[in-house]
Order: sequence, then structure tokens, then C-alpha cells
Amino acid sequence: MANIADIRNEFLREEIEEFLERPEEIERTVGIFAKARPAMQDIAAALIEGENDTVDRLTRAALEEGIGALEIMDDGLIAGMGVVGIKFRENFIFVPEVLACARAMKAGMVHIEPILSASGVEPLGRVIMGTVKGDLHDIGKNLCIMMLRGAGFVVIDLGVDTSADEFIDAIEEHEASLMGMSALLTTTMPNMGKTIEAFIDADLRDDVKIMVGGAPVTQEFADDMGADGYGKDALACVELAKNLLSAEVEVP
Amino acid sequence: MQKIDKAEYEKRLKRISELFSSMVVHADELSTYRCPYKNRLDQCTAKFGCRNQRRPPVKGDLLLCAGDDKLDYRSAWETQAEDGGEPGR
Repeated sequence: MANIADIRNEFLREEIEEFLERPEEIERTVGIFAKARPAMQDIAAALIEGENDTVDRLTRAALEEGIGALEIMDDGLIAGMGVVGIKFRENFIFVPEVLACARAMKAGMVHIEPILSASGVEPLGRVIMGTVKGDLHDIGKNLCIMMLRGAGFVVIDLGVDTSADEFIDAIEEHEASLMGMSALLTTTMPNMGKTIEAFIDADLRDDVKIMVGGAPVTQEFADDMGADGYGKDALACVELAKNLLSAEVEVP
Repeated sequence: MQKIDKAEYEKRLKRISELFSSMVVHADELSTYRCPYKNRLDQCTAKFGCRNQRRPPVKGDLLLCAGDDKLDYRSAWETQAEDGGEPGR
């Protein structure tokens, strides 16, 4: 049986001692990190700290050393995210920290994507995401992006206060066939409809599936403004994205 | 360049999706009483104004959140982009 002293990375040892309480989780986590190479432990530690740049650098270095991409995912990125999940569940950290860790994970996955492509493993799809013009609320959108990336989509995040032109430019630049708009305010919800109208005016509406979401948005509102789909939360967003893209493939 | 087996990669994606799904469920529960923009140091990470924002002790740090996690924090959020001005009113 592995011992916590077998883990070389001091930060990981401290994290396990301070934040993990359930015996089965301690045993499993110690087991994973104790057998992991020091380089993988370092990637996991940087991810838990939400350090994009460090995860980026360490992942690149590990691949250059010839360490397998799946090992980096298992012992570095996913193992680190497992600890993040436990800390979040126990309220030691909160949504902003989780999102920082998810961004750090993405910084590592960026280096694995070319290997996937070279192996003939294509992403599920390319999605443009943004909060509509006039709206600065982004937590819901960011959780959707985290889920979409975790499911295998490539996501281009346009951030907040996104104009119709910015959505159109991004769709054309990245050749994406799916986009998601979010709004939290009833005052900015109409900008979703205006953005859809802009796509119609630009003769691009048939080229892109549009999904919408946000606290005040409903299926009825989505239907009224001509969206292709409505997702009530981040979990629904992934299923909706998969369904919209599969429907697109089926249409001749 | 090394290669990745698609089936093995999809197993990892499934694991990541499971991890993220449980986080999203917890985030949803948590958001019923704690503002999702408030980090572990009780700092505000929002890009918009909120009446619960307070000046930080150190200039340049994130604004502090004065929300007590008891009342509905959403009523404190400013609803106009240009309202993100002076905190701590």
C-alpha cells in the first residue's frame, strides 16, 4: 500500500493532509500520486493552484521528454482535477478557483490537441461562446465552457459584452458551426434576438446552430427569437451541443 | 509524434466529464446562498458592479465581498454595464 511519504511533491502531500478527509479518497489519491513520476506530480500541483503558465510549461516539457499524453492526462491533469473536485465539494474553494483550475487544465490540454489530431481523433465540434452585448455576467457561460471542453469540444470564448459583429467574425474566423449566447439580465436578453437577426442579415443563419441560456431565458423565449436550442444549465448545454451538431450532420 | 488511441482518450474524457458534472451540480447548489463570483478569500471576481463590493485593504487587490451569504445576493448586482463604478457605497 502506498504511503503519502512516497509522494515527492511537498505541495501535494500538504494538500492531501489538509483537505482530504475520507479514507477511501485519501488512499486512492495517495496511490495515484505515489506511483506518478515527479513531473506528473508537478503538473497536478500546478493545476490545483490554478497556475496556467506552469501547467503549460510543464506539459510541454513532459511531452518533449517523451512522456505519453495519456499518462499526462491520468497522472497530471485528471489526478490534479480530482483533488480540486474534492476541495470544491467540501467548500474549501469556490467557483472562481474551480474555473481557474479548469483554465489551467486547458493550458495543458492545448499541447495534447495536436497529438489527438495527428492520431485522427477529431474534436466533437468547434463552439463559439459569449455573453451578449451589455451583459458582464459570465459565471454560467464559463461553467458551460468548462463542461464543453471536458466533453471534447473546442471552445472559443469571446468573453462578456459580445456584439453581434464579434459573434459573426468569430464564426467566420474559426469556421465554427455552433455558437452559444448567454445573458443574465432581462434587459440584455433581447440582444440574443438581435444577434440572431444579424446572422440572418449577413446570410449566415443557415451556417450556424445557435444555442442560448442564462437565468432569465426560457425555452419559449428561445423559440420566439429563433434560436436552435435552449439549455437550462451547463449540464444541459453539453447535451444540447451534441444534439445540435448531430442533427446538423443528419440534415442533407 | 506519438499517437493516442481514440478509445483510451474517450475514457479520459468520460472521467473529466464526470468530474466536471459533479462540480457543476455543486456549483448550482452553492449558488442558492453564496455568490458564485465570490472566491475563497471573500474577494469579488465579477466584472460588473455590486453593492456588496468593498475597497480592498491593499490597492490593486480584488474588491472584497461584504455579502453575508444569507440574503439573495443577486439583488445587489448592478444591472447596467456602466454601473460598475465606485465600490463601497
